[in-house]
Amino acid sequence: MNRLKYFMIPLVSCMLLLTVGCEDDPPIENPEELITTVNFTLTNSSGGDIILSFSDPDGDGGMNPVIAGGSLSPNTSYSASIELLNESVTPAEDITAEVLLEAEEHQVFYLTDSLNVSFSYTDSDIDLNPIGISTMVMTGDSSSGNITVILRHEPDKFATGVSDGDISNAGGETDIEVSFPVTIQ
Amino acid sequence: MSAFLFGQDCTLSVTGKVIDKGTGRPLSFSNIYVQESKQGTISKEDGSFSLENMCPGHYHITISHLGCSPGLLHLDLYSDTIVTIELNHHDELLDEITIKGEGSGKRSAAISTVSRSEISRESQSGLSTILETISGVSSLKSGTDIAKPIVHGLYGNRVEIMNHGIPQAGQQWGNDHAPEIDPFVAQKISVVKGAASLEYGGSSLGSIVLIEPGNITGDKHLEGIVNYVFQSNGLGNTLNTRFERSSKLFSYRLTSSFKVKGDSKAADYYLTNTAKNEISTALQMQKKAGISESEIYYSFYFNNLGILRGSHIGNLTDLEEALVRDEPFYTEDKISFDIAAPRQKVAHHLFKANSDLRLSEKIRLKGTYAFQLNDRREYDVRRNGRSDRPTLHMLQLDHFAEVSLRSSLDKWSLRSGIQLNYVNNKNVAGTGTMPLIPQYNQIKPAAFFIASTTADKWFFESGVRYAFNHLEVATITTSFPLEVLRFKHNFHDYALSSSVSYMWSRGNNFGIQAGYMSRSPEVNELYSSGLHQGVSGIEEGNRNLDSERSLKLQMEYEFNWKDKLFGQFVSYYQNINDYIYLEPQDSFRLTIRGAFPLFIYKQDDVMIYGSDFLLSYEPIDKLKLSLKYAIVRGELVEENVVLINLPSDNLTFSMKYSVKLKDRTKASFGLDFDYVWQNRIEPEQDFIPPPDAYYLIGAMAGVNLPLGKSYATIELIADNLLNRRYRDYLNRQKYFADEVGRDVRLRLAYLF
Repeated sequence: MNRLKYFMIPLVSCMLLLTVGCEDDPPIENPEELITTVNFTLTNSSGGDIILSFSDPDGDGGMNPVIAGGSLSPNTSYSASIELLNESVTPAEDITAEVLLEAEEHQVFYLTDSLNVSFSYTDSDIDLNPIGISTMVMTGDSSSGNITVILRHEPDKFATGVSDGDISNAGGETDIEVSFPVTIQ
Repeated sequence: MSAFLFGQDCTLSVTGKVIDKGTGRPLSFSNIYVQESKQGTISKEDGSFSLENMCPGHYHITISHLGCSPGLLHLDLYSDTIVTIELNHHDELLDEITIKGEGSGKRSAAISTVSRSEISRESQSGLSTILETISGVSSLKSGTDIAKPIVHGLYGNRVEIMNHGIPQAGQQWGNDHAPEIDPFVAQKISVVKGAASLEYGGSSLGSIVLIEPGNITGDKHLEGIVNYVFQSNGLGNTLNTRFERSSKLFSYRLTSSFKVKGDSKAADYYLTNTAKNEISTALQMQKKAGISESEIYYSFYFNNLGILRGSHIGNLTDLEEALVRDEPFYTEDKISFDIAAPRQKVAHHLFKANSDLRLSEKIRLKGTYAFQLNDRREYDVRRNGRSDRPTLHMLQLDHFAEVSLRSSLDKWSLRSGIQLNYVNNKNVAGTGTMPLIPQYNQIKPAAFFIASTTADKWFFESGVRYAFNHLEVATITTSFPLEVLRFKHNFHDYALSSSVSYMWSRGNNFGIQAGYMSRSPEVNELYSSGLHQGVSGIEEGNRNLDSERSLKLQMEYEFNWKDKLFGQFVSYYQNINDYIYLEPQDSFRLTIRGAFPLFIYKQDDVMIYGSDFLLSYEPIDKLKLSLKYAIVRGELVEENVVLINLPSDNLTFSMKYSVKLKDRTKASFGLDFDYVWQNRIEPEQDFIPPPDAYYLIGAMAGVNLPLGKSYATIELIADNLLNRRYRDYLNRQKYFADEVGRDVRLRLAYLF
């Protein structure tokens, strides 16, 4: 019997530990950094806001995102601002504030294709580099195309051209990249 | 000890023979030196030697030979003794698998081994890098310090890693997860390039990596090694220690490693945020009492390592920008030891207890229990100070129990056993992200039976294995509202294998193996969901997957020509039905962060075949030349598409020149040349075409000198001596940065 003693110790300790299995629920996380909604609001001095929006309230997967474009007047200047929300929680979380809190680590870039439109930054961080949450948008002649809004996290804001809105040397990782169909007429 | 009481009857003799372990060839002109009596002799042409006029007592005898690491023999001398001493003269040759207890020197599979001296020499690097010295083994890498082995074209879930007889637990599915093992704990590390390895638990489709700490030497004095490596690349410091000792009560061995390294450097720039810290320790205790041999083993491994900052990207546009850059974003012009996000932090505990009972001359019963705890945290660059909170935090508990029986009847040797494996994998709350892998419980009972027999120069082995796999998964929906969904799966896995080998003489043999085995899908293949950071792709599991079934045929041939030329060839063909892989989808998934390529797991038939070649030639005793070549091919059978992540054809030529300066002092010089072809996959199968072929040159010089009863080693080793700029197809970092440039290492070792 003594010879079995050595043998039983590992076996018994094993059995004991095996019964400790569990069936508890996995933690459901609140995905705090999720951005579900981008609202790009353009305001013209003659009144009336145009809101371009991208909304994917159920996050990646599930339902397809809803994209709302809009139309702008030719040869007009608009003051514009970006609003970022997490609408998966109630009340909706304002992510714009979080971005502004780390302004020097973020920059929004604006890209266009065949649309006659130009952008200039109207805000800046403590290094006097643009953030891009607030901009001035100038439209040209009638045309149609897309406005692409890109939010980069930790770009190199001092790299050549970046403070003028040129994304090519910026680097960083993309937190937002959405395109809005726009017509100027 | 009592022998001394009868006075000094100094008429005893020790006679014996020194042979090469790999080939059986006698090693002439070996130095045999008795530390206590300072007696020495040199072996003759046929390897034989004799020491006369020795007193009874306890002796340490060192045996050294040009080109081998020195061997140490402990001897309690009471009467005239005959010994056979085996030295590892050919580390690169296939090892013999000795069926323990029945030690017949026969083997049932091609086993290649990396010896302890080789492990100490490369102790600054990880397990997989050390295994790359074996022909037919490559590494799948994610950056500089994360690598996992690829054997015969398979990796990850399909290559089991056995850590001291226990299937290594942890998040082994991730291509960016290196096995949490410090190679320095091992006496040897072997790769079994088999058709079916039936004894081992886990989910292998043939090949297995064995980390073997081995038995503690019977020495009553403290012995061990202190090994220190300084690396010029990354200003790395590695310190390893091993102490071991036997006493009447028990034997113990304590191994520890500490590694601290800064940012690595590619040929032209620093790889910013690739610093690393690693600590590991292992305690092994053995006790023999009557018919039982018992062991307790505990090991702890911890690492914290940075991932190249420039390889952390968002969507496909970011990747495209990174691809065209000369040097990665965020590259700093100086080295740093800081480890910032993105990074990984892993802790792994292994506790094992086993008892081996010799019930009779012919029957041995062995019981094993092991417990593993794996805590893996991965940190990404996040907003608002959340970078200090892991985005992935998983805790895995793993229990393994085994009872096995070995018996020998006439010419038959039988092995059988039952195993039980329980895994509980949890996502720890607090990440603020959706989990990539769901929480799950897994229970896997298994049983195996293997019979082997010898007849003249023939060796036969056959066996079966059955495993049942019960999986319970609790997933969370990927879209809002978030809910828990539970799923259950049952799989049955079978393995059958047979092998025949014929041995003309030691070093000359031929063998064939055939094996059938199935592997049930792992939880990541069934349920992974979400963005795989850095891979810039969304991965989706497929819960309808079934087991993959594989048939592998393997052939080995080994020859020894006049003790000068040695060769080994391993060829294999493997057919896998319902091979599980990630298929890139045609459409991109549009998210608020832009477009991402979508990959979904699916199953198709594949075939993989290839060969490993090794030639070793010794024109004169002082010079050894060796040539290794490995080639693998694989394709999806129906679509006729080449499999991705297969190792490129590679050739290694190395030479080593050893010279004896004086008694027991020797110097050696070595030169390595590697060439890697990289041109096989189609350009559309990856974001970039395979990088250009490359070659690397390495060199080493070292002396081995006696220091009293001990040995000291001083070595200078250089990798990528020409500081070549290159990228490797099997490293995910190829999209972002060059491989590591020149690395010169100083190694000091004290063996006592």
